[in-house]
This record gives sequence, structure tokens and C-alpha cells, in this order.
Amino acid sequence: MRNLMRFLVKYHFLILFLLIETFSLFLLFRANPYQKVRFYNYSHSLSGRISIRIENIKDYLSLRNENRKLAEENARLYNRLGSSFTKVIGDSIYMGDSLHPRKYIYLTAKVVNNSINKQYNYLTLDKGRLSGIRPEMAVIGSEGIVGIVKSVSDKYASVLSAVNRDFTVSAKIRKNGYFGPLKWNGNNPEYATLVDIPHHVKIESGDTIVTSGFGGVFPEGYRIGIISDFRLKGGNYYEIKVKLSTDFRKLNYVQVIRNFARTEIDSLEKASYR
Amino acid sequence: MIKDLLKYLFQFVILILAQLLVFNNIELSGYINPYVYVLFILLLPFQIPKVVLLGSAFLIGLVIDLFMGTPGVHSSASVLMAFARPRVLALFSPREGYQPGTLPRISEFGLEWFVKYTVMLVLLHHFTLFYLEVLTLHHFFATFFRALLSSILTSGILIISQYFVFRK
Repeated sequence: MRNLMRFLVKYHFLILFLLIETFSLFLLFRANPYQKVRFYNYSHSLSGRISIRIENIKDYLSLRNENRKLAEENARLYNRLGSSFTKVIGDSIYMGDSLHPRKYIYLTAKVVNNSINKQYNYLTLDKGRLSGIRPEMAVIGSEGIVGIVKSVSDKYASVLSAVNRDFTVSAKIRKNGYFGPLKWNGNNPEYATLVDIPHHVKIESGDTIVTSGFGGVFPEGYRIGIISDFRLKGGNYYEIKVKLSTDFRKLNYVQVIRNFARTEIDSLEKASYR
Repeated sequence: MIKDLLKYLFQFVILILAQLLVFNNIELSGYINPYVYVLFILLLPFQIPKVVLLGSAFLIGLVIDLFMGTPGVHSSASVLMAFARPRVLALFSPREGYQPGTLPRISEFGLEWFVKYTVMLVLLHHFTLFYLEVLTLHHFFATFFRALLSSILTSGILIISQYFVFRK
């Protein structure tokens, strides 16, 4: 007993260090997903509240930029309005009906917390469950894709950023439709990598990469970026460096997309893959 | 005693705020990031009980983790750094040792001593941090350079900051 006490007194620093470090590493490797989610939720509600104040200041400073982006987006939307097309058949108008069910709905949200300097980057949005945001919804900005909603609390949503090592999206080359997974490589928040494009496909720098719509999260045809560089990997497939069109350093307002067909596609696929 | 406690509490809060509000928003070429909150662990007095040293390092790491949403990453790195601190101090100890009442400052032990002490501990902290963050040896050299460049940046900021904060 006495020896034990002497041992404890002598090595109390080492023992204490091992205890605390084990606990920290336990936090890091997390015993189960539930604790992980609890940590993220707590972390986001805490940082969400503070970040919103800082964001207010940043917002004010970036008004000019935001105005320009909104104006550009307005122009693009005006171009899609019925009134900017010549009517071929004078008396037909579009109505939402059961033949043309609504497939997507867009919700605007503000980014209150964002990082790009980590390997696993997340964004926090100022809207959550009460605004109808659910996990697995797509998030886009006015310039391109942003990420996928990972978890939601009542008032905030945590988004897996496209510049996160865990992020994958099915992307395709717009001009010929060849598709493959697009991932961020963890280095530069301006570039991502598209793989699995066969070597016979003709590509060149400057080609536009868009979402393929597979997986049911992102609608088809959303801009991801442009090809900046490519090389053959292993002789059969291209490894394509894609310059992301979204500037993750300047995100302010984003759109969250809800896909109404998602559950149906999911359950169908689950049933047929079995 | 109470005065000292308040002083370190103040440093704790200021460094966390500086880290979250200022230094997390600076990133050079996308992935070099200074983590200046480690200054708190560097500036603690020599005679601090080891239990308090480990505890406060864990606490500041945990708070940073909570705000950055990275469970365990910063706290593990900070605790390891606090554990190494007495050994690093012994390694660079002046001939007569650290007298009671002195503090780890440039004004007391000179620039060379402070640079060695800071760089050594910051390197340890940053390398632990960056490798724990990626949790893979896949991009070993990419992570290596991120950690190295960030360490240089952090050490530089910390050393220069000493001249502004503890002016004579």
C-alpha cells in the first residue's frame, strides 16, 4: 500500500497526463456516433450564437459584394421568367398540377460559421429543423455547390462543406455527360478532384463540370467548377483537377434544396439492390 | 494570489477570443493556420502545480475544440504540450535554474531562450494537432509542410507579440 502511494506520488504527473490524454483521444475517436452528434450539436449551438454577432459585422463590410452577386442572380432568374420568352402558343401558361409536380423547393439561409482551413470543414446555417431543413439536403450558393446538410438543431443546421475530406458528389462533364465522383483533396479550398473519367473521353481545360443528379441530393446540372488541369492515372482513367466556382472564403447567403422525390428514389433503390 | 489568478483568467479569455475572432480568419494560401492560443500554456509560471498545468491546458484545448467543432483534437495537442513543458524548460534551463518569482518572459531570460522554448513546444503542438486532424498518414508530406509552416508562423507571431504586450 505504501509503495503504491509512493508510486502514485512519484509519477502523478505522468499518470494524470495519461488519463487526460486518453480522455481527449477518446473524444477524438469517439465511442459512438451518438456522442459525436451531441458534441457537434452543442458545439454548433454555442458557436452559432456567437458567430451570428461576428457575421453581422462581416455582412455589413461585404454589402457591396453581396449586392453585385444578388444583382447577377436576379438577372439570371429574370432570364428564366416566362415573360422573357416569346410565346409560341399564345394561350398556354404553366400551372403547377399533378402532371408537373414540384420536384425541388429552395430555402434561403445565411452562413453564420464557416471554415476552410481544416481538413474536415463544416458550415453553420442560421436555419434549422423549424425552417424545414433536414439532413441530406443539398446546399448551393449563387456561384455553385456548397455542401450537404449533415445535422440540424431547431435553429441551426450544420453543413458538410464541399471542401471537407468526407464530401463526395457525383459530377459530370457538361458537354458530353461522362460522370464520376468528385472529392476535395484536402489541400487548397479552390480545387477539387474528379476521377473515373475513362481515357477515351475528350476533355480540355475550361470545360464546365456540373452535378450529375445521381444520388438524389443535388439536382442535375448545377455548376461545380471548370477543369483546370488533368492527367491520366494508371493509364485508363483521368484524374481531373477542377477549379471550384464557389469561393468558400466569401460565402454569405446560400440556398438549401429540398428534393421531394428523394424518399421515393431512396426506397426504390434500397428495394432493388437487395 | 487572487490577482495572479485573475491575470491568467484574463489571458485565457483574451487568447481564446483572439484565436477565434482574428487568427481563425487569417489563412495564408488556404491551409496555413496559426494557433496562437498555445501562448497561454507558454506563459504560465514556472512553479505552477503540474496538476493545474495539465488541467488548464486541457481546458483551453477543450474550449477551442468546442468552438471549432473538432472534438479532442486541440485538447490532446495542448495536453501533450503541457506535459512536455517541464522537460523542455529543464532542457533550456539557465545555469542557476529558474529562480522563484521569475516568469517565462523575454525580459527575464533573453530572446534566444524564449525562441528556443517557444519553437520547440509550438512544433510539438502543431505536429500533433495537424496529424490528429487528418488522422491519416496518406498525405504525409502535405500535412508535414502545413504543420511546419504553421509552426513557423505561430512562433513568429508569439515572439513578436511579446514585445508589444510585455513592454518595459
